[in-house]
Amino acid sequence: MSDARTLDVEVGDDRHSESMLINMGPQHPSTHGVLRLVLELDGEVVVKAEPVVGYLHRGKEKIGESLSWHQFIPYTDRLDYLAPLANNVAYAVACEKLMGIAAPPRAEAIRVICCELARISAHLLGLGAYAMDLGAMTIFLWTFREREQIYSLIERICGARFTTSYTRIGGLERDLPSDFAALLDAFVREFPGRVDEYESLLTRNKIWLRRTQGIGVISRERALQFGLTGPNLRGSGVEHDLRKAHPYCGYEQYEFDVPVGTTGDCYDRYMVRILEMRESARILRQALDTLPSGPVINRESDAVLKSVLPQKEKVLTNMEALIHQFMVATDSVNAPLGEVYFSAENPKGELGFFLRSDGGLKADRLRIRGPSFANLQVLGEILPGHMVADVMAILGSIDFVMGECDR
Amino acid sequence: MSSLTDQGDPAAGAALHAAFPEVTSAPVVWRGDVTLQVQPAHEAAVARHARDSLGYELFIDRFGADRGEDAEPRFDVITILYNLQARRRLHLCTTLPGLDPQCPTLVGVFRGADWFEREAFDMYGVRFTGHPDLRRILMPEIFPDFPLRKEYPVEGLGAFAAPRRAIGGNVDGTDGQVAIIGRAPGGPAP
Repeated sequence: MSDARTLDVEVGDDRHSESMLINMGPQHPSTHGVLRLVLELDGEVVVKAEPVVGYLHRGKEKIGESLSWHQFIPYTDRLDYLAPLANNVAYAVACEKLMGIAAPPRAEAIRVICCELARISAHLLGLGAYAMDLGAMTIFLWTFREREQIYSLIERICGARFTTSYTRIGGLERDLPSDFAALLDAFVREFPGRVDEYESLLTRNKIWLRRTQGIGVISRERALQFGLTGPNLRGSGVEHDLRKAHPYCGYEQYEFDVPVGTTGDCYDRYMVRILEMRESARILRQALDTLPSGPVINRESDAVLKSVLPQKEKVLTNMEALIHQFMVATDSVNAPLGEVYFSAENPKGELGFFLRSDGGLKADRLRIRGPSFANLQVLGEILPGHMVADVMAILGSIDFVMGECDR
Repeated sequence: MSSLTDQGDPAAGAALHAAFPEVTSAPVVWRGDVTLQVQPAHEAAVARHARDSLGYELFIDRFGADRGEDAEPRFDVITILYNLQARRRLHLCTTLPGLDPQCPTLVGVFRGADWFEREAFDMYGVRFTGHPDLRRILMPEIFPDFPLRKEYPVEGLGAFAAPRRAIGGNVDGTDGQVAIIGRAPGGPAP
């Protein structure tokens, strides 16, 4: 399909002109952040494309080697900054895997709620920006209406809207407020109808179909070769979701489907995200209905106690707890010698943490496998042959975030 | 918790070791992760075998690690592959010397290794021989050092050092103290 479109616009050899080099980004509005594309154009057709990344590199992996395990949590907020809660969860579970700690059931259920809220919020922004880049302004405003609701929920959870830092090794920073269940219930009730609204504007819209179908096709083989994960991999027809493959935080308790595409074009990636938002709402409903009671941080054994922060209320009133808090946050945490890899199904794909501990107070190596880094690499392969206007469609459909690409 | 510790694939590790007994170590299993040590020169062949015969067709990650200036061999290059049918993960690890670390590229087996190898070169100075376009990717092209090496300070060096900020005392920072990002655990309190 993409070939057919390409042939329409290809000019004969006799009309070949000199190719033109264009810098798209790092400040171009459709690159959402600081991606730079060096495009070689023949007329309006892309001949060669080279993504240039690194403009948002902040040395997170280096910083991770100089901070204690707990101190790194706020840095995870700024990886995929559209889904900070999901990053917090992924990092905490990675540390727990290294240290052999399990979070209590209530903490796990709340983590699932956090991850799915983050997923919906990230997909909403991805969808809104994607549609806006293709000229459908309304969607952007509508998705931000729901994102505002989600941010209010997140504010109720942890006090911050954006930089959440909500998880702790072994559990969560605090429990949900008492009115949270009612607020989330109202949101989950309303949300599927909102997705219907987005779909009514796009899914069968002729212009939208024309702009996305057969554009930016990524074959299954290419997706695997380039390490694509998340909705981009599923759009290419690969049914791979870490929540199903290696359930963490008790994902095996919830019923949900993994939507996959067939052709791997921009439209399939759009549909996968739409369906994933509906599935996330299903998970939220189940998690809310089956939310267990109990503590939100593991304080069961002495070994665990040395690496888990004390309750915040006690820290403010009790001297021993204050000392304990200080020791855990700066100097302690008994991570054993060894290395682990843990990855979570984040909105953009597989966010992995490789933690190598030399038995000390901090990581010897803290590798962050950002899904957008791998997802962007494929652009150099799929952009050539498309028109410049299609570049915006493809960028929108890949739905990347530079915070976790450049780290 | 059980799900976290059964992600690796000991059987595939053993099968790879059986297929390449001379150049791989027996697989090590810890917390469910399975790691196989591979000699650098044979890594591509081992990865190709894992992809074609064992079903490890999804490329996940490839990155460097530094064991410290005094360690020999000093550098590791770790590759993570994924089997979609078995839903299992496999880690391949090659070790490289501290002086002029070189390692054949995996781009011929997994195209996606391209950027990941550029990053490992950028951060550790590992030269991937046969790589089509080995240059810096995250750091600026004029950057002189390999920042993730252990001897490189977190606050930077030379022209790339973090701005100095006086802590108490002198406004111009001549007391020699530098406000680094956070406090290194175990180090002196700022």
